Amino acid sequence: MKVLKSWLNDWVDIDKINGDELSLALESLGFEIESRIDIKPNYKNIVVGKVLEIYPHPNADKVRVTKVDTGNNVFEIVCGAFNFDVGAVVPVALPKSEIKDAFLIDKRDIRGVESNGMICSATELDLWEDNSGILLLDDDVKPGTDFSTIYPQNDIVWEIGVTPNRGDCMSHLGVARELSHYFKKPLLDNSSQLNPSIESILSLSSGTIKECNTYAGIEIENIKIKDSNFNTKYRLSQVGTRIINNVVDYTNYVLYDIGQPLHAFDRDKLFGKISVRYAKQDETLLTLDNQNRQLSKNDLIITADDKPIALAGVMGGLETEVTQETNNLLIESAYFDKVSIMNTSRKLNLISDASIRFERGIDHQFQLLGLNRFINIFQQDQHITYSSPVVDSKQQFSMVDVSFSRNEIYKILGIKLENDFIENMLEYLGINYTLTDNDIVFQSPSWRYDLERPIDLIEEFAKHYGFNNFESTLPIGNNKNNLGEYWHLKRSLTDKLIAMNMYEIQTLSFVSQEINQIFTPEKKSVEINNPIDQTNKFLRTSLHPSLIEVYKNNIEQNNQSEMFFEINNIFDAGEHQNFDSIPNQIYSLSALIPSKLTNSDTRQDPTINDIYFAKQILIDCFGKIELKQIHKPGFHQNLSFLILKNNKVIGHLGQLASQLEKSYELNNSIFLFSIDLTSISSEDLINIIYSPLSPYPYVKFDLSFMVPDAFAASELIQEVEKFLINNENVITIFDDFKNEKSRNLGIRINTRSYSKTYSEEEVTDILNQVVDVLENKFSIKLNKGN
Amino acid sequence: MAEVNLDKIFASFILSLEDVVDVSELTQIEKEYLGKGSVLSEERAKLASLSNDDKKKYGALLKDFADKVSKKLESFKVDFEKSYFTEKEKSENPDISLDWFSKKGTRKHILTNVMEEVVDIFASLGYTVAHGPEAETSWHNFDALNTPDWHPARYESDTLYLDKDLKNLLRTQTSTVQVRHMQDNKPPVYIVAPGRVYRSDQLDATHSPVFHQIEGLAVDDGITFSDLKGTLEYFVKEFFGKNVQTKFIPHFFPFTEPSAEVLVSWKDGEWLEILGCGMVDPNVFQNVEYPSTTQGFAFGVGVERLAMLRYGIDHIKNFYENDLRFLEQF
Repeated sequence: MKVLKSWLNDWVDIDKINGDELSLALESLGFEIESRIDIKPNYKNIVVGKVLEIYPHPNADKVRVTKVDTGNNVFEIVCGAFNFDVGAVVPVALPKSEIKDAFLIDKRDIRGVESNGMICSATELDLWEDNSGILLLDDDVKPGTDFSTIYPQNDIVWEIGVTPNRGDCMSHLGVARELSHYFKKPLLDNSSQLNPSIESILSLSSGTIKECNTYAGIEIENIKIKDSNFNTKYRLSQVGTRIINNVVDYTNYVLYDIGQPLHAFDRDKLFGKISVRYAKQDETLLTLDNQNRQLSKNDLIITADDKPIALAGVMGGLETEVTQETNNLLIESAYFDKVSIMNTSRKLNLISDASIRFERGIDHQFQLLGLNRFINIFQQDQHITYSSPVVDSKQQFSMVDVSFSRNEIYKILGIKLENDFIENMLEYLGINYTLTDNDIVFQSPSWRYDLERPIDLIEEFAKHYGFNNFESTLPIGNNKNNLGEYWHLKRSLTDKLIAMNMYEIQTLSFVSQEINQIFTPEKKSVEINNPIDQTNKFLRTSLHPSLIEVYKNNIEQNNQSEMFFEINNIFDAGEHQNFDSIPNQIYSLSALIPSKLTNSDTRQDPTINDIYFAKQILIDCFGKIELKQIHKPGFHQNLSFLILKNNKVIGHLGQLASQLEKSYELNNSIFLFSIDLTSISSEDLINIIYSPLSPYPYVKFDLSFMVPDAFAASELIQEVEKFLINNENVITIFDDFKNEKSRNLGIRINTRSYSKTYSEEEVTDILNQVVDVLENKFSIKLNKGN
Repeated sequence: MAEVNLDKIFASFILSLEDVVDVSELTQIEKEYLGKGSVLSEERAKLASLSNDDKKKYGALLKDFADKVSKKLESFKVDFEKSYFTEKEKSENPDISLDWFSKKGTRKHILTNVMEEVVDIFASLGYTVAHGPEAETSWHNFDALNTPDWHPARYESDTLYLDKDLKNLLRTQTSTVQVRHMQDNKPPVYIVAPGRVYRSDQLDATHSPVFHQIEGLAVDDGITFSDLKGTLEYFVKEFFGKNVQTKFIPHFFPFTEPSAEVLVSWKDGEWLEILGCGMVDPNVFQNVEYPSTTQGFAFGVGVERLAMLRYGIDHIKNFYENDLRFLEQF
């Protein structure tokens, strides 16, 4: 919302306070400053002129020639605008003056007529944006007056943010009230006496529903629709409102002035009783913007003789609109329920300055003041006759006493407030209160909807004390410095994986049903009711597709072939493991390992990895694991394994199915693994089992066995380890050679006794025993002679 | 007595050294002149047949010869290696301005980096990491957090719902974790909750349908607004640096009162909002069935915003496209 310094000054005397101090005050009171514009003249030597004569240009149709009195002289000036008549008071740029952006004005021949300068529009003087023609000044300004003396200088416009709980600050009066306490200056009174001289002819009612508590109106007769006065135009333009005509402008003026939205009807187009009700299903209303609106049972409407004439608080109807021909007015000033207005305005996407104010809650005692201010401003401009205001109000809002211990302030804020401060603030803010030694009792004023509980007033104290005046203290929490298992696991895993040269990625969670089908056709996807994008309206059931997508995109960007992993939730429509009534979500790790990896040394060829490399990454993360072959959609028919840790399934490892590798156009085998992180703990990541170091020399021998094709080499190692259990061992498979005839495994045994140096006989003995054990256990044969 | 000309042999030994190209050849030369089958060993074998006097004299000559050869071999080896290494190193002179290894960064996603950093700061103040579901009930995301059902934040234009009745949704804020955590734990509570949140926004320079927040909550006897202020000032200085100033301006959030926005001083005297905070609203404590005397503070900070500010990242899309050109910069 925009506020103008000169306008605020109507309500609180801040004229002498400079802009920086005011900005600071606004911000500290909770009005975020989005922008500040200091108004400076962008023109020089502009004078006020009165148009004495207007006659056609002899050689041109699109301009007229005027005679303008500028005080000491009368000049002939050619003008292209047609929005004024003889007698108009206008700003004039005579030769040697400057308009917007230092544009120098001089005498100029326009098709054979010498023009002594120009008559200016608001835009040409950089006052505000207005393309309707010449700026018309008030009739009583004397020709020859220096324009800069009638146009405000050194005014300031702030665009401020008003928090949604503070509807009362959506006006100059509301902001001024807050400033009045800050600067300890009283709020000024701008209401005046009305002198009604006509009888009202319409009957007004607030209807039977509670959503319209007050419906008030005033009838005005014999008005002339014309431009509003200069001050109104200036102020409304500065706060960003389009200038229309006097009636519309003055209703807007009252809204920005005190926050009461008004609506003007052409009285002569109204018949019967004016009332308020909810619309009936299928009722329609042609609104001001010439749209035929389909109404529903939740829309609050104004009716004349029970026929809809306006959408309450949102937009008027076209049929009862004020036009150039309007002579008599009904001005409406009402109090509508917040939620009803919000529903209608959001539903129809009609968000106006009025609807926003109703939504946030306007002062429920301001309906009369609204009419009073309107008459007041209108009267400054033309002589009008008007009726007494008619007010139909239902219940009086009850004033509830809220009481709390003064200790609460210190307890919650950590500051001690003096009596003076407390009393001052409550008085300046217009809050009724009683103060005792121990307690504060207060009542919420009619304009505030955010002061219902003790904490609400405590907040007010904090704000007016100034957040930046608080002391800063630093409490220390549980003294355990314990990150918690969730974070510890995520962090340990991430650190391990990045150390293995994998890149961590973060991808969006939305996919199509087809994508979820690739790896997890057995899962039911969670669907978003109101998706951003219809093609991706499901939550992902697997992280694999995101990884493949990222890998593919990088290759397409001509980036390196790298390994990636992501740790995030996957979702399915099953029941949640721990909580009621929400979909299942499993905290998961997925990783992608391309077989061909770009070497980080740019002189080297890519390295080619197979599934053993992916398996090793798992071992480096989780220590001892077991792999059990399993068929799984999306994967190679053989290279697909459950991952078991301590006999419990924790995830899956496999190679992307050849068909998918082709359809994704990857040209590279891809290994993928996924881990259900809820099935492991950070302790599973600690793989350290210390063995003492033997001081004795090692014995080493390589053996080669002919084994069946379907033989698990790991069992060979396990068996040797079992046999040499009392030794320090390093046992590895160093060769797995296959030809048409046979498969041969090479095992290297490196062993040390903890108690002695083996003699040659003992070594031979061990060798023979190992061969015997393995041959008998697995029915395999040692390959002799190599 | 002398049957061989030792001087001649020595001269041929010296000559053979000249042809040495590798230090390993010295072993062969040593063997040739001093080892088994060498002239020296043959002559030594003859000593036994000589008279005592001759044996002594000739023996001394042979020993002298052997010593000379050994000494020469030793000094030759030292000199040879010295000049060999000098030559070798002279030839090893690469252009060190070259970078053969491509830039790789830490490989940790920058959002993770930032979250870990923030978590570490609060862990040092005694906070534990808490977490909760991303697909949540509307009650945990809104009602429990004092956001009534008419509140604009609940509109379908802002929130992604998972059913027609709008009972379940993708959490719009990590504040849901406050609620879950308090339901399961008695005070005192000191937690931070980093995590994903979702909004109905198209991906553009500053918006993403998925982003990250870190929620903080401290509930304890005597926790005041001054504590909130001190804690967040400490955080800002730890994260952005000691010279960064903070200011607190009043704000509104349904779940805290008083509420504030924290601004930090940035380049060119600009102030930028970085987090929202406040004293937990009594209604929130009531909703998690905490005693009415409970008090505490809460705050929330956007992870993407912290990262964008600190590194000058221009587009939020970068975090989620995972282009290696982006990833490897961190």
